Amino acid sequence: MLGKRELEEILAIALQGGGDYADIFLEEKISNLISCEADRIERINSGREAGAGVRVLAGNSTAYAYTNDLSLPALKEAAYVASKAATGQEKGVTNIDLRKGKPLVDFEIIRRPEIVPVEEKVEVVIRGNRAARAVDRRIVQVIVGYSDIRQRIQLANSKGDLIEDERIRTRFIVHVVAAEGGIIQTGYEALGGLAGFELVEGDKPELLAQRAAKQAVQMLTAKPAPSGRMPVVMAAEAGGTMIHEACGHGLEADLAQKELSVYTGKLGGRVAAEIVTVIDDGTIPNKYGSFRFDDEGTPSQRNILIENGILRSYMYDRLTAGKDGHHLTGNGRRQSFAHRPIPRMTNTYIAPGQTEPEEIIARVQNGLLVKKMGGGQVNTTTGDFVFDVSEAYLIEKGKITVPIRGATLTGNGPEALREIELVGNDLGFGIGTCGKDGQGVPVSDAQPTILIKQLIVGGTG
Amino acid sequence: MKERELAHWVVARGQEQGAGLIEAFLLKHKSFSVQVRHGKVESIKQAQEVGLGIRVIVEGRMGFAYTSQLGTAPVKEAVSQAISNANKTAEDEFNILPEPANQIPKVDIYDPAIEKTPVEDKIELAMALEEAAFNYDRRVVRSEQAAYEDTVYEVTIVNSCGVDVSYRGSFCGGYVSVVAQENGDTQTGSGMDYVLNFSALKPEVIGKEAGEEAVAMLGARKVTSQRVPIVMPPRVATQFLGVLVPALSAEAVQKGRSLLAGKLGDMVAARDVTLIDDGALPGGINSSPVDGEGVPAGKTVLIKEGVLQTYLHNTYSAAKDGTKSTGNASRPFYRGTPEIGPSNLFLEPGRTSKEDLLQDISQGFYITEVLGMHTANPISGDFSVGATGLWIEKGKLTYPVRGVAVAENILELFRGIEAIGNDLRFYLGYGSPTLRFKPIPVSGE
Repeated sequence: MLGKRELEEILAIALQGGGDYADIFLEEKISNLISCEADRIERINSGREAGAGVRVLAGNSTAYAYTNDLSLPALKEAAYVASKAATGQEKGVTNIDLRKGKPLVDFEIIRRPEIVPVEEKVEVVIRGNRAARAVDRRIVQVIVGYSDIRQRIQLANSKGDLIEDERIRTRFIVHVVAAEGGIIQTGYEALGGLAGFELVEGDKPELLAQRAAKQAVQMLTAKPAPSGRMPVVMAAEAGGTMIHEACGHGLEADLAQKELSVYTGKLGGRVAAEIVTVIDDGTIPNKYGSFRFDDEGTPSQRNILIENGILRSYMYDRLTAGKDGHHLTGNGRRQSFAHRPIPRMTNTYIAPGQTEPEEIIARVQNGLLVKKMGGGQVNTTTGDFVFDVSEAYLIEKGKITVPIRGATLTGNGPEALREIELVGNDLGFGIGTCGKDGQGVPVSDAQPTILIKQLIVGGTG
Repeated sequence: MKERELAHWVVARGQEQGAGLIEAFLLKHKSFSVQVRHGKVESIKQAQEVGLGIRVIVEGRMGFAYTSQLGTAPVKEAVSQAISNANKTAEDEFNILPEPANQIPKVDIYDPAIEKTPVEDKIELAMALEEAAFNYDRRVVRSEQAAYEDTVYEVTIVNSCGVDVSYRGSFCGGYVSVVAQENGDTQTGSGMDYVLNFSALKPEVIGKEAGEEAVAMLGARKVTSQRVPIVMPPRVATQFLGVLVPALSAEAVQKGRSLLAGKLGDMVAARDVTLIDDGALPGGINSSPVDGEGVPAGKTVLIKEGVLQTYLHNTYSAAKDGTKSTGNASRPFYRGTPEIGPSNLFLEPGRTSKEDLLQDISQGFYITEVLGMHTANPISGDFSVGATGLWIEKGKLTYPVRGVAVAENILELFRGIEAIGNDLRFYLGYGSPTLRFKPIPVSGE
């Protein structure tokens, strides 16, 4: 990481073309990955990466140059390249005085990955593998992966902000393949957090592995999903993919400002049923999408996006906040030094309501209960979204009956939010890597058990 | 130190420290991208990156480490780390490295024009892309983004068995997404193309495709659930090919997670289907002289007239099956070990024109875009994706349709290919002509 004087010098070069704002983001990342497949430890990969990106904003245009040569001459060259690509009317700023920023929240990392012996990490992977295989003889393959990342960042900008931070993230995944009579099905579970090795301590590897294994086996005997429009109950443990796709992406300020979101121009308007409140919160302790500072140096925050059905705020990075004259919300994130920051979600969820989950299921005559969601995608302009269902059951006369497989749910964001009829008093989280503009960032999302009046179930039955 | 020198140094040092087999993989790349919107530059990005991946095999156990810092200290540390990682993985007699090849194909994958073209001209190209989309129709009212990007890269692979290769390549591409509006209805369309030669990039064509797609979708309606024949243009068909590909990996077969396990010599697709992977394909965006571990790239016929011929192999999977690597060790970054992946994979074109493909369909669905393709399960082969497109009536494309889902198993889908068009087109590493399929379930109202 660089000293104050050097950072100031680089920022001055970045602004010599007359840009309005400049920042430099330095990053060092150390990662470890252990994977087990075919009943043996197959891969242990370790790596170290470092690099820096210099950004210059001039009017509405952004110049970005990055390098993984961290020598002062190379960084000055990157700043020079960026200064040439974004020129403006401002006089070059010479008196940048950097002051260290403080976060609004702090997180405790109990066992830092570098003090945990590799043997211990290998052990949790082996235990996960063993637990999954013990569930059923129809299990033909188990993949268990453990990874940890230590990312140190330094960010300095021409407003005088200087922040240094360290993020430790740990992830544990179990993928199970079961086969019988020519049918192959899979189960998948993932655990991840802004946390150290404590994330996988105790019996967590076993519990996660057993859940993934049971899911794969259960799906072998599942019936093909029905097709057509029907009421859908999403259990809290299903994760929050629906809210991430149906609403989250459309509330990212860049898309909203470019009129590429169905939620453009709807601030203060009703966009969801009155019982729906949606929050994006980067400050929740140790969640996968949490951090102290975003990748532009803004402290993470809790932002209410939709309050009792009314649209209250979009999610901003520095560039879009400037355009709307809005305060920074702490949503400026990037995959690495090789990417410029853009508005992204952190931990996004529907706030819990009043109804008991059992009561919600009992209210459905004929419908679908989603127990586990997979990935999804949205066209923010039209609001049309899909998400994958990896575990689901039919609900008949208020009772959960047979398991079904192979379904995707399709709907339209604002329509689905308006058709949320009941919101449970529980809350369940899921984790994932969210992709946008070729950048992946860790996020989590959550929801209580909810009832949506109608979605299209895309099955084959 | 020059790349090749550094790679040799790594190999020598690893051997000194007890790595029986060692391989150094160096990647260096330079990239440029510009994004424009409504005739103004929105962002410009320029970058340089290098990285080194070190793979060692100690008594049959493999270890791996990488670093982006090529100074002596971090490289030494990475060598030691790779060896120490190898001490904790399982022994496997098939963990070997390839021997040098007698002959390496000559491929023309470097276009000096990409580096030489001034930034201004590249910006202009991105602007032209966007303009072509707007010019297509006045109902194209907004652009999400139009972009031009290029990459020039250098790969060096040196191993302790004598492999010692390096090569340089480049590619460029452009894309645009736009929004069309009419009577309060908003629809999107996009176009993209990636090519090896700067002169082969045609902004007018890409832009027009985006405009055309957005306008065609205006006034889209929903349809009721039904089973109808499906037609997919190359862009959509290549996405479905992508779901089938993991099943063609020999590693997936060996590990019991392939749909195509045990099916060599079986009819796995319709009789007209011939599927080829060609790592040295002239003009192929993924063409290269050698694969990610230095094995010569070449042509592999995977499915011939519907019959499964072989799987894709790297050195490890080939050793395990007692066969030769097909040159499909894929290694897009220096951060990982070589896995198995396709290079330029395509379905051979037939003789039928797109119009003739549609001709005898009384009711059908012509899919122009899918949503959620990455949610398809490549292990079970089950997919259910959101789709938009045009409804086919009496052999003609009629009104636009959106908000429906199509679901099937990928093998069933390929068994159900009824006709293959003559219009083969590549999108990045995948190529396909227009395809017509037997009826599958379309879920709607």
